Amino acid sequence: MVVLEHFYQKVIIPIKIGSFDISITNLTLSMFAGVGIFLILLVIFAARPKKIPGKMQVVVELLINFIRKGICFSMIGPKESDKWVPFVAGVFIFVLANNMIGLVPGTYTPTSNPVVPLTIALIIFLTVHIANLVKNGFKGYLKTYAPPSVPKWMLVIVVPIELISTIAKPFSLFIRLMANMLAGHTILYVILGLIIYFKTYFIAIAAVPFALVMTILEIFVSAVQAYVFAILAALYIGEAVNPRH
Amino acid sequence: MDPKAAALIAAGFCMGVGAIGPGIAIGNLVGKALEGIARQPEAGGQINTAMFIGIAFAEAISLYALVVAFLLIFVA
Repeated sequence: MVVLEHFYQKVIIPIKIGSFDISITNLTLSMFAGVGIFLILLVIFAARPKKIPGKMQVVVELLINFIRKGICFSMIGPKESDKWVPFVAGVFIFVLANNMIGLVPGTYTPTSNPVVPLTIALIIFLTVHIANLVKNGFKGYLKTYAPPSVPKWMLVIVVPIELISTIAKPFSLFIRLMANMLAGHTILYVILGLIIYFKTYFIAIAAVPFALVMTILEIFVSAVQAYVFAILAALYIGEAVNPRH
Repeated sequence: MDPKAAALIAAGFCMGVGAIGPGIAIGNLVGKALEGIARQPEAGGQINTAMFIGIAFAEAISLYALVVAFLLIFVA
């Protein structure tokens, strides 16, 4: 069915190299469109930076200030966070652009396909562990799993919980993002599909306002999920990088 | 019983029971946030932000149940 393009990938330009299938699908085009629009707007707004910012430069400064003070300073602390602001800003803007592009009719939400959030979650997982190893050394990395402030008899319970949470934290990041994006579109298609199912237009009197409200909620959920993803990434990095008590 | 029928009943049950916990959690959260704002209206911005983060966490739990329900309907 042509209306279900939100849920299925359609190959547009097939490109195969050996046995790797790297065709251009509607996911690729939506991702390029979303991130491209964001990048072009950011470059246009901050094209010639001045010391006293003009009207358009203030918007970019607002965004970067929000990421730096709102996300990084509160989670990583002011001393270490200047190294990590570009990474967290990249994650935040990538997830925000990919969530928002799904609201345009006819596009595909890249973050609703399991591949995209899984890749970002794996990148954050590798970043956290490698940052922990580089900053604290191998013994410090092992001490993460057995914090010194825990009494010795509780270590039997705490160590398995910490080991399970190394798998559970990136997995929950991935599932939270993917399921939120998928659920929003599913509700919209179920509500509007009732009109087709009952084969009468009278259902539209009840269905369309409900779908409108759900779309407004979708806009809100897209922004909040991007913010929660970025703040959790900053939290895990902060746990790895800050000295432990 | 037909396995497909059992899977569909299980999917409905799963999502229904899985929405109880997050419902209670979000209700508690928003209640405490409102109490905090009523006590000290100047901290409204910070309390608002922390409340939204908490709601996103609680919502994720109910979405785990939704994913299991989808798996039951479409894959089993």
